[in-house]
Amino acid sequence: MFRTPSFSCLALLLLIPSVPLATLRAADEAAKPAAPAPAAIPETAKVAFSAEQIEFFETEVRPLLAESCLDCHTGTAAKVGLELNHREGWLSGSDYRKVVDLEKPGESVLIKAVLHSGEKDIPSMPEKGEKLSADAVAKLTTWIGMGLPWPAYDEAEKGNDPSQHWSFQPVEPGTLPADAGHPIDYFVSKSRTKAGVIPADRADRYTLYRRAHFALLGLPPQYEGAKGFIEDPKKHAEAWPALVDQLLASPAYGERWARLWMDVARYADTKGYEGAGTERRFIYSYTYRDWLIRSMNEDLPYDQFLLYQLAAEQIVDPASPDKKHLAALGFLSLSKNGSQDEILDDRVDTTFRGTMALTVSCAKCHDHKFDPISTKEYYSLYGIFLNSLTQDTPVIGEPRLGPEYDKYLAELAVVQKEVDDFLKPVLEKLAKEHPDLAAQPDKLKAKIDREDRRKLSNLEGKVQKFIADAGMEADKAIILRDRDMPINQHVFIRGNPGRRGVLAPRQFLAIASEGGTSKEFTKGSGRLEMAKEIVRPGNPLTARNIVNRVWMWHFGEGIVRTVDDFGLQGEHPDHPELLDWLAHWFIENDWSLKKLHHLILTSETWQQQSTNAKETENMLVDSENRLLWKFNKKRLELEQMRDGMLDVAGNLDREMFGRPVNILEPPYANRRSVYAFIDRQNLNPTFRNFDFSNPQETTGKRPSTTIPMQALFTLNNPFVQDQGEVLAQKTTAAEDRIAALHRAVFAKAPSESDRQLAESFVTAFESETSRMGKRQTNTEWSYGWGNVDEATGKVTFQPFEHWVKETWQVGKERPLKNNPLSYLYVDANGAGHPGYTEKESLIYEWRAPADLRVAVTGILHRSNVGKGNGVRVKVATSSGGIVFDKVLDPAKDKLEVTIPELNVTSHEAVYFIVDPHEKNSSFDSIRWNPELSDLDNKWPKWELAESYSGPATPASAWGAYAQALLNTNRFLFVD
Amino acid sequence: MNGYTSRRQFLQRAGMGMGAIGLSPLLSALQAGDRSLNPLAPGKTHFAPRAKRVIHIFANGGPSQVDSFDYKPSLAKYDGKEMPGDGLKTERKTGALMKSPFNFSQHGQCGLWASDLFPKVSAMADDLCVINSMYANVPNHEPSLMLMNTGAERVNLVRPSVGSWITYGLGTENENLPGFVSLCPGGVPIVETQNWRSAFLPGAYQGAHIDTKNTLISKLIPDIRNPRMPRELQRRQLDLIQEMNRQDAGDGTIDPAAEARMHSLELAYKMQIEATDAFNVEREPAHVRELYGDTLHGRQMLIARRLVERGVRFVQVWHGAGQPWDSHSEIAKGHGKLGAEADQPIAALLFDLKQRGLLEDTLVIWGGEFGRTPTVELPTPGANDANTKMGRDHNHHGFTMWMAGGGTKGGLQYGKTDEFGFKAVENPMHVHDLHATILHLLGFDHEKLTYRYAGRDFRLTDVHGHVFHDLIA
Repeated sequence: MFRTPSFSCLALLLLIPSVPLATLRAADEAAKPAAPAPAAIPETAKVAFSAEQIEFFETEVRPLLAESCLDCHTGTAAKVGLELNHREGWLSGSDYRKVVDLEKPGESVLIKAVLHSGEKDIPSMPEKGEKLSADAVAKLTTWIGMGLPWPAYDEAEKGNDPSQHWSFQPVEPGTLPADAGHPIDYFVSKSRTKAGVIPADRADRYTLYRRAHFALLGLPPQYEGAKGFIEDPKKHAEAWPALVDQLLASPAYGERWARLWMDVARYADTKGYEGAGTERRFIYSYTYRDWLIRSMNEDLPYDQFLLYQLAAEQIVDPASPDKKHLAALGFLSLSKNGSQDEILDDRVDTTFRGTMALTVSCAKCHDHKFDPISTKEYYSLYGIFLNSLTQDTPVIGEPRLGPEYDKYLAELAVVQKEVDDFLKPVLEKLAKEHPDLAAQPDKLKAKIDREDRRKLSNLEGKVQKFIADAGMEADKAIILRDRDMPINQHVFIRGNPGRRGVLAPRQFLAIASEGGTSKEFTKGSGRLEMAKEIVRPGNPLTARNIVNRVWMWHFGEGIVRTVDDFGLQGEHPDHPELLDWLAHWFIENDWSLKKLHHLILTSETWQQQSTNAKETENMLVDSENRLLWKFNKKRLELEQMRDGMLDVAGNLDREMFGRPVNILEPPYANRRSVYAFIDRQNLNPTFRNFDFSNPQETTGKRPSTTIPMQALFTLNNPFVQDQGEVLAQKTTAAEDRIAALHRAVFAKAPSESDRQLAESFVTAFESETSRMGKRQTNTEWSYGWGNVDEATGKVTFQPFEHWVKETWQVGKERPLKNNPLSYLYVDANGAGHPGYTEKESLIYEWRAPADLRVAVTGILHRSNVGKGNGVRVKVATSSGGIVFDKVLDPAKDKLEVTIPELNVTSHEAVYFIVDPHEKNSSFDSIRWNPELSDLDNKWPKWELAESYSGPATPASAWGAYAQALLNTNRFLFVD
Repeated sequence: MNGYTSRRQFLQRAGMGMGAIGLSPLLSALQAGDRSLNPLAPGKTHFAPRAKRVIHIFANGGPSQVDSFDYKPSLAKYDGKEMPGDGLKTERKTGALMKSPFNFSQHGQCGLWASDLFPKVSAMADDLCVINSMYANVPNHEPSLMLMNTGAERVNLVRPSVGSWITYGLGTENENLPGFVSLCPGGVPIVETQNWRSAFLPGAYQGAHIDTKNTLISKLIPDIRNPRMPRELQRRQLDLIQEMNRQDAGDGTIDPAAEARMHSLELAYKMQIEATDAFNVEREPAHVRELYGDTLHGRQMLIARRLVERGVRFVQVWHGAGQPWDSHSEIAKGHGKLGAEADQPIAALLFDLKQRGLLEDTLVIWGGEFGRTPTVELPTPGANDANTKMGRDHNHHGFTMWMAGGGTKGGLQYGKTDEFGFKAVENPMHVHDLHATILHLLGFDHEKLTYRYAGRDFRLTDVHGHVFHDLIA
């Protein structure tokens, strides 16, 4: 709805705030080259309409439009871009031309269209529905002749001048009174006092110590350190800032804060969807991530941090050690794949949403509906990226030399040779067909037919895969480079690359430029010039954007809660003065993120408890805690949780940098989560179950959800269980185990009640497991073979020892000739086979978890009807002997095994026995899925197939205890 | 269903056993649907819904309409002749018209013409709402799958899937199961997990992919079973965790997020039993299992019914990994085999839902990402196999889908393609229109079910889509 105003118009706008938008719009029409000579609209547009004219519109025209035009010509979805639901739309016409002539209304294209004039290129309208009556056309013509009277109240609904929106105004440095104290507290308490909410007390030293560790390092604190800090005799005002500095100096800081920025950079190690045969991995994506970690740790000033990410190749001498900064371009180059148009869209969006919290992409198909960003401006930015190509991957690391590398090169040469061997005859053949191109291999390559191209691309994919798998190449940067000869970009009408509009010279957004006007860029793609505009201290958005994001990463919510939308649809800042003061201060303080962290963490606002004595009263005034009257308790993010679990178990591998590793699929690496391999297309669902950012697009704020899948992971995933076991194994019975585990997990000694809970848990767990004895599986079921003594009813049961391809069996292989035992097995469906004689009967054992009254049901199936001699089916219990004994007639395919009532005591076994019957086991493949139901309805049904599982790795009591600690809110939340 | 009820009672008892957690007002609020804490709490519809849940049977690859539910006698008449008029563009070169190798006859009181590719489904003709005039935008799998599943055909546009939108709108009726489940045997379809991704919607709305080829129930859902502790011991561990949580919370106000987590621990515990129960088709009586058939497709269709019956909102059932229905060559053989696999299970599902009274508010949708050409695909070097014969190419100009139940009109045959079944000509219905209509049946105005992201309100149908009221009973 808003075009780049010329300077004079802008001045006019500032002087006369009430000037109708239409004026600007109309004035700008002159700049539209595709349109015929404009009529003298500007003057008439300013005319105030008389009440009669407005009434004419309301009674005669508005109903007509609603009836015949607006179905197709409304808003941004309007056909051919012709919006007839507001006056500006009438004036600006369609994507192609003007539709009204105010001087000669009868000559208007629109009038000819509704008259069905049949003139060339003028369609008959309305397309659907009845032709307008002569009377209606006459009224429309009259109305156009009046200058399109339209009531002001329609215009008023559109709101005020968008360029006056808060975020486009210069940052106000603000002033602090001499006795302001900490500036953050000064601004926040001002708002709090006004609203009458009471801040919380400062949290205790333990809480602050732990909070600061997760905030700055993403890792839990250690007991000794916490103790030292708590007992530090120095005053808080001294001890605390010193601790913050100490943490900021840790290399772990960079790992945490790089990962946060990676959300903004939609970081991934793969490009996205590719057909079969094409390598999806970037291979060198990690050099960008490593650059981020180093830059954070070195506290690279944020303006430079952005400059490198947007245009490093233009400011770095590739021959100097500075070439390491080339990796920064991963911010742009690691975009998801797709058509050129999609890639460029993504780069524009990531850049502007990421660094300026502007949703410029909304202006791709039409002028931004809310913000002062025109489609032309969008394509001005798009053109910058159009002229920035990703072709190069210069080496930035040390070459890896030595015999291993030589071996790699030799192997690579073999894979590469396949490509060359394939390509050679293809090119030779083409050279004969196109002798004129023989000397130009690139042009020749373009002639390769579809089938050969597919083969070639598969072979090339193999080379890429080999390089990626080997991981032997020196570190490289995936960079952008300007085109030698820049191409001019036109507006794509409605975002359609097939429909060219006006030229969109490469230049910056007017709204964020000095004086509200932007100049055409002159150097190459203009990318460096763009980057400089972004970090220009006068840019109203850049500094506000980053201080706001940092604030969100510390408090859970930004000062502006819509962290990636500072436009008119976004929220207003909760503390506008503070936001501006911080933005200004940040620039004054060398754009230093570490200084900003220090400032935030030393405020009393950040140091508050997460509970407030006046909780109820405050909630009535400010239930969302916008006034920051307490610290927001936060659940650990996926990375903090996983790294924290590894760390407290002493398992965290602190190696820094390098190629990505799998963290969720076994064998999982014990590296920090920032090094996780991020598969853009098929991200393991666990990532997003824990609210991890979507690596397809830049992320503002991660969602914060609580769903059972998270708990399933922390309770059942072997990774978490392993950390518990390892942690437990590090303690010994000789020491105070409870204390040792609490110190490790919480950096705190256990309370008396913690000890009681621990002791009773461990005792009960141990007695339960010892009563169960050594178990084959972790369920009530065991699978094996043996015999039941017919006289005594005593069962000898031997559990199977081998688990092969989800089948329990006696040996590693089966069946083996002349080995009666090798025929024995059972699988997930309860299908199995007995051995040769009753001594090798197939037996399923079930142990009662409590004293129970159960019913047994289930059908035994034998498919080889008419063959062999059937099977003998028995059920026995360890105390009561045989309780069921029947032979399945070989002529029948099934036998119902039902016992209406059976009393069992806790841990008593019930055996389900398949005897091959009279020592003839031929054709005795059976399927039996016995079920036991609790007749008192306290327990769910037990059923072999449902519970079927492999070998048990039983949890130890202390391991289970340690894992429980990792599952407590005490561990999983930051207070 | 006895086991089901008693299981519930069991769980309630267990949860209240040791260290019972008092239900605070907050927890009740959580259960009552505070979506900021619980993204899967039941949502509010815009108006009274006709359907409460959806089963989408995805015949991925593109089933042929002229060999199934769009009878064109002219094809037999002009078999081997060029199609008159300008040919429509499809992915590959096609030649003359090719008659269907399948035989058509009329079914049901409505007299639906359908082929013997789906004899048992056709027998349910009076429950089917057949749309013969579907169309999409391009004749390629990837964009068409994306269009059907996300409403945005560009593979690289990041949009939430239909199931994610619906789960976002409706929440779930059963927190012990995922709200959106995608059953696909043997792997993933092309474009992979993007077919059920939540994109910019929270991860809670992503589809849970389940490979129904697995028979081990514990392998169906990640982490659904504790590999190291039997249930009794796990309960002890959980009780310890909850007791510590409760003591830490003290008597003061408990943090909503911390409390939500305590609640979710209990849900997870229950999910271990309920989810395995839902996937355990052995629990079905023999006659029901026989109805569906003891095959992979029978089993997964039965799982689909068990899931919706337990409150899962959106179940997508794929025919298989890749694009099985893509019969470029020898359609009689290819489609014949696929039809034989799918027919009985689908018919059984419809019949079973109906006899249980579930069809009334369960919307069943069948179809592919597009249909196939009435003309024969020609062998073209570089495009297909030199032995390509008697098959059909992709066709987005006109294809057939059907819906059943959930407020749709049974026994209706809607829209028409041209004389040969190539292009939708009467009442053409775009995929966006289908989405708008599905949302309408679920009680949502498709223009109002929106999510604010990156500065704008997104919706499934973008700026498109019309509700086709003619299809609604």
